[in-house]
Amino acid sequence: MRPLTLGRLFLRCSILAVILFVVVVIALKLGAVQVSLYGLGRDLIRVLLRQSSSISSDYGLIVLNIRLPRILLAIVVGASLSVAGASFQALLRNPLADPYVLGISSGAAVGSIVALMVENQLALSPEFAGLITPFGAFLGAAVTIAAVYYLGRRDGQIDSTTLLLGGIITASFLSAIIMFLMSTLAGGNLRGASYWMMGSLSTLPPESLLFLLGIGFFVATGAIYTTASDLNLLLAGEKEAMHLGVDVRRVQIVVYLAASILTGLAVSVSGAIGYVGLLVPHAMRMIFGSDHRMLIPSSALGGAIALVIADTIARTVAAPSDLPVGAVTAMVGAPFFIYLLRRRLS
Amino acid sequence: MPIFTGRPVARVLVICASLLLLCATETAAQASSPAATVSPLMHEVTDGYGRTVRIPLNPSRIVSLAPSLTETLYALGVEDRLVGDTDYCDYPPEAQKKPKVGGVINPNLEQIAVLHPDLVLVTKEGNLLDTVRALDTLGIPTYATDARTINQIISSTQKLADVLNVSSAGKVLGDDLQRRLAALQERLGGAPPRRVLFIVWPEPLISIGKDTFIADALRRAGAASIVDSTQDWPQVSLEEVAHLQPDYLVLAASHTGSADNDFEALANRPGWQILDAVRNRRFTVVSDAIIRPAPRMISVIEELAHKLHPDLFPETPGTEKETAPANNPSPNPFQPKPMALGTATWTCSLESPCVL
Repeated sequence: MRPLTLGRLFLRCSILAVILFVVVVIALKLGAVQVSLYGLGRDLIRVLLRQSSSISSDYGLIVLNIRLPRILLAIVVGASLSVAGASFQALLRNPLADPYVLGISSGAAVGSIVALMVENQLALSPEFAGLITPFGAFLGAAVTIAAVYYLGRRDGQIDSTTLLLGGIITASFLSAIIMFLMSTLAGGNLRGASYWMMGSLSTLPPESLLFLLGIGFFVATGAIYTTASDLNLLLAGEKEAMHLGVDVRRVQIVVYLAASILTGLAVSVSGAIGYVGLLVPHAMRMIFGSDHRMLIPSSALGGAIALVIADTIARTVAAPSDLPVGAVTAMVGAPFFIYLLRRRLS
Repeated sequence: MPIFTGRPVARVLVICASLLLLCATETAAQASSPAATVSPLMHEVTDGYGRTVRIPLNPSRIVSLAPSLTETLYALGVEDRLVGDTDYCDYPPEAQKKPKVGGVINPNLEQIAVLHPDLVLVTKEGNLLDTVRALDTLGIPTYATDARTINQIISSTQKLADVLNVSSAGKVLGDDLQRRLAALQERLGGAPPRRVLFIVWPEPLISIGKDTFIADALRRAGAASIVDSTQDWPQVSLEEVAHLQPDYLVLAASHTGSADNDFEALANRPGWQILDAVRNRRFTVVSDAIIRPAPRMISVIEELAHKLHPDLFPETPGTEKETAPANNPSPNPFQPKPMALGTATWTCSLESPCVL
């Protein structure tokens, strides 16, 4: 494979960005209410020219105030989950690692639910209250990874099968906790259990939250990207990387915290959407190779593309009802997981 | 060919990407300035959430997000202002013909927005706070009702009438309902209450808690629930029910069969023969309006009182002891409706309280 150059990196990312743009335009057009492609194009140009006031209120409201925020949410959540997935795969040196499969998303969901319950009790000011749920989700994710990591160790080494089994059991245990919390302690206003366990993008995010998510995503992804070259060396093994001058502890802590933030942010606004973090980094590795300097930005863009497509299917396939987007990703992702597992065994 | 090293490139990338996202969010922010339906005649009212909401003085395009609210609008005679309701709004039958905006728990925001409502009605019990927040973000005014007792059903109906600027209709309706309730209380007098098991869902067995409006409705009808729970929709074991041995089983009519079929389906479940009420066929099937906090509730209370205390209502035809098939002529004819409520009740009891 030819060496990765700055030019090639930008070229590839630009191609992915163009695909993302096309997917977003298609997603803006599709939905429960019909919008013509011509009207959509005209309105988009008006937005770019900053003349949004002249957009007909009817479709402007639906396309720009309902669909666009949801698509932006799908972009941030998809990108976060994919980068988190790629990071966990590097950190645990296991290509089957994924926030959902390892129970980390469920941990973040439990954190979110507890935070929402606390928030309801405390009656805080709205600006501050908005931060509690993502923080609770981050804590839930961080604690769960630590637990799964220690469950997966045998004789001081991470054992692939033990890790996966530990993660799956943890996920099942945490799902039980979610069911328990939803049916006993939680009031009616914490969304349903299926929202947290299957994931959904149907709640319209306030702008301030989208902004917070965007900032969080770039900070965490940026932090992970600073370790990209080290992650490449880590693929060979911890000892080998250490001999090559990598500060393994530091890299692990940075990736661990940043990936927890990414998972926590995503789950706090959309519940546990599965398999995006597994499917997308694998697809990107197949196309672009396993160099993390390429893998991380391409996973971010690819994750955004994948989740926008999945959510568009979820929105339209049973319109006007919404399907949980996690059902769409799991229908594609679970068979793919089995395929990867079989291929590793043979 | 220059092979780049990680960090400086990372910084450039991060900065570029941040700028991109900032642009995107700004565009969204700009776009989502509320679609101001500029009406000069607005006023502030306090709703069931305890919020102060700004709503039009005379709302003319109303979307209802709960079957009970849809019924209430028809009862108040303002159905011409109702421009959309949910898939579950099936009473009165004309309500089925209104444009649909999806389910109670997951209404479609696009469908709501395209109807240009100037007021969306929700119930605190049945709808999600997320839906209300999303409508707030879109600049669509919402008003929530909250009724957990029969008195609150009447008072919240009257308050809704005030909000919709039809106070006199609300007063007439409310007074009529109060009068009928008072007449019923007088008739029941000091008759000992029947001990009943209200069945929300048979498998798993879900009954009602003491703080629900259904429990209150039972009390008004001269009955008492044997389940004494602070949870609203407690799951109870058959063992416990067998221990308490209710006088009667009370269930809401399904739309799929006759009252006898509903009962047979229950009686044939394994283990249910343990109950005296099942062996002696002491059961009452009432209109499914009992699970909706709407004015029709008073008719259900009357119906239930007649069926449980037939000796106190000698003039009413067709209320022979124990079984009273739904097709009997009664003062309040409730014809079976085509929609299968079974599925609706099921989804609701999983996701949130079973109140429609």
